[in-house]
Amino acid sequence: MTAYVLRRLLGLLPVLVAAVVLTFVANRFVPGDPITIMLGDQGGNAVLERKLRSEYGLDRPVTVQFVDYVAKLAHGDFGLSFRYPGVPVTQVIRNALWISPSIAAAALALAIPIGIALGVVAALRRNTLADTGIVLVLVAGLSIPNFALAAFLVWGFALKLGWVPVAGWTSWRHAILPVVLLAIPAAAYLARLARTFMLEVLQQDYVRTARAKGLSERLVVWRHALRNVLVPILTVCGVIFGGLITGTVVIETVFNIPGLGRIAIESIFARDYPVTMAIVMLFTFFYATINFAVDVLYGLVDPRIRLEARR
Amino acid sequence: MKAAKLFRCLAVAAVFVVGVVGPAQARDLRININADPEMIDPITMSALIAGDVLRNVYQSFTWVDENGKVLPALALKWTAHPDNLGWRFELRPGVKFHTGRPFGAKDVKASFEALLAPGSKAGLQLQYLQRIVGAKDVQDGKTKDLAGVKVVSDLVVEVRFSATDVLFPIYPFLFFDTQVIVDKGPNWFMEVSAGTGPYKFAAWRRGENVYLQAFKDYYGGAPKIDGLRFIVVPSEETAVTMYEAGELDVLMVASTDLARRVMRDAKLRAEAKTVSAAQITYLGMNQNLYAPFKDKRVREAFCISIDRDAMTRGLFGGLAQPLYGQITPGIPGYNPAVKKIAYDPERAKRLLADAGYPGGRGMPPLRIANLAPFRNEVAYYADQWKQVLGVTVDLDIMERATFLRSLNAGETPFFSWGWTADYPDALYYLSQVWHSKSSFNRARYSNPAFDALIDRAQVTADDPTRYKLYHEAEALLLDDWGTCGIFVRTNVAVVKPNVTGVTLAPMRMLPYEKVTIN
Repeated sequence: MTAYVLRRLLGLLPVLVAAVVLTFVANRFVPGDPITIMLGDQGGNAVLERKLRSEYGLDRPVTVQFVDYVAKLAHGDFGLSFRYPGVPVTQVIRNALWISPSIAAAALALAIPIGIALGVVAALRRNTLADTGIVLVLVAGLSIPNFALAAFLVWGFALKLGWVPVAGWTSWRHAILPVVLLAIPAAAYLARLARTFMLEVLQQDYVRTARAKGLSERLVVWRHALRNVLVPILTVCGVIFGGLITGTVVIETVFNIPGLGRIAIESIFARDYPVTMAIVMLFTFFYATINFAVDVLYGLVDPRIRLEARR
Repeated sequence: MKAAKLFRCLAVAAVFVVGVVGPAQARDLRININADPEMIDPITMSALIAGDVLRNVYQSFTWVDENGKVLPALALKWTAHPDNLGWRFELRPGVKFHTGRPFGAKDVKASFEALLAPGSKAGLQLQYLQRIVGAKDVQDGKTKDLAGVKVVSDLVVEVRFSATDVLFPIYPFLFFDTQVIVDKGPNWFMEVSAGTGPYKFAAWRRGENVYLQAFKDYYGGAPKIDGLRFIVVPSEETAVTMYEAGELDVLMVASTDLARRVMRDAKLRAEAKTVSAAQITYLGMNQNLYAPFKDKRVREAFCISIDRDAMTRGLFGGLAQPLYGQITPGIPGYNPAVKKIAYDPERAKRLLADAGYPGGRGMPPLRIANLAPFRNEVAYYADQWKQVLGVTVDLDIMERATFLRSLNAGETPFFSWGWTADYPDALYYLSQVWHSKSSFNRARYSNPAFDALIDRAQVTADDPTRYKLYHEAEALLLDDWGTCGIFVRTNVAVVKPNVTGVTLAPMRMLPYEKVTIN
């Protein structure tokens, strides 16, 4: 098991390195550069341009810049922001660092029980009105884009009812709508999976055996069927969590939450290379770690995968 | 059953907490800004949002009210030196810095020296110091003492120039207590507030808000509210909803789209404040790069083919005014009597035919350059030229930085662009945009008679006399059809009815000095 974990851990490294290289290259080849943006009305002022370029080290060959960047990175130095003169990248993203993962985690925590409950109920009442109703709601939850749903919920719960604030990030009340919105498609997706898995499990021999030996339907569902549904669901949660983190980009903009997603958008537009790089690396790191966790979880659950990896 | 009980308890608790915490901070004025301020330091200050915030913290010799009147701030009286190469300022007594130290003549000198110090990365204010005697020596690190600024007494300071600078008293300086650099080091501005304004800098939570606290010892009287909270809201949609829900007291409207939306909504419109912006929009016709523009008749024909009234009404929903001259209302030196440019398609056709291009025939291909956000306006112009003159003008929608670079290099034959005043005086438009020696003369217009008038205005300290020169120069420029004014945008802000003392001016919001919240 330890060997398996180590191997997966080593596999993370090339992913991060690739992310650094790709983001660095992509940044430099996007049209428009930070210095011309900084110059603004002074565009074409050669003296000022040369001065700024050398101040930010952008007058050196790209390869030198890259080596320098990586060398500093190895020492944990993410450099200085271009958009906020003289401010270290770590300071720009420090406040935001935990916001996006927290919102995503809260949304997932909300989505799992709701999703499983809906899915199981639909499966148990298969082909009844309740099943059809639930499936319809799920399809809606999956297909309505969350910015559209956001406008609707804000209008209803913030403007008309006044139960929650419209936007901002100063109290826990500000988190309610964003978390709910993010949880809706995740819950819908989980419910669809839960329904399918449940239907499959209910036809398994061991369930038939359980029923045959006279167990109550409740025990059959709770003890025998549901546990087996949970296993694939929980592994999918890793992937869903990754999606939720990046999903915060839209939600953070709509609800004015100063998270990583919003900063990412702003820094890309401002060609703030160092901040963009740091955020892409963080996102990659989150994704990779989650996939790593899922892989390990798979291994724990199913010894066959562990053996497969050894070969 | 248990779960239900627990849920009920939680619900009751939640209602209780919401009820108690509720909407607090009623005495802070909450204003949206669409991004974090670029900096919070008076030395490097060089951008719009930073200016909106810092205007409440730092002050200059003078300020300008919403009607363009120059009023005393930190200086009570300013007089030009007889040789026209200097100014003498009598400063306001009893002014205290946020640090508690008194403000005086030595602080004027020290602020200038801090801006000029080598490696200070000074922003906007640096350009205003270039003519002071000895400025270069300080910049080059030869001395720390700015020879051209003399501290006569605690409250009198004299500034001497190597070349006349009649506008020096109105430049938007941000005087600060330079002792903080010694006490707190180069990043002092995140820790202390060192201005003289009605509010002092208290906190900046990046991505969330900037908080300014009322300064109890402000010489104009302590503000009647606790403070100003500038909330960072990048999405305009979100900002409007926040305003509607009472989470903002002042909604600053940045885009024309949002301004139109505000004016269409009866409730928002009733609470809106509007004023002409200090920003001209004009057509640049480079006579060196496009031969037909050498002919004055062609320039006039293009200019009178645009129906300014219809355009400001239709395209802007009334949120712009036609611009006939090159100076905007509310800016000192504005001439309200400037001649109207009438929409005259018949005359335009005739002029173009007289110039040798009847029905637009024989005109070399022409493109008009601009940026994506303004493509509606440019499309309207092109359509007018096609319909009225029979000339096909292609749209050249460029990326901002490339566009500006090409404009500054004088490489754009035809463009539509604007110019926003950094300080309140008509000279800012006339000398920067149309003087042949200015690097921002992007149409590369050159008229020696115009230059001569502007050169004279630049050394005329007496305001009425100088304004007369502006009017003469402007008339010359207009008669020559060297420029073509199109419109002046309208600044819009929406303010809650229970808030008083908020004044929208051509150069954005005046300081929130006298604000009350009922």
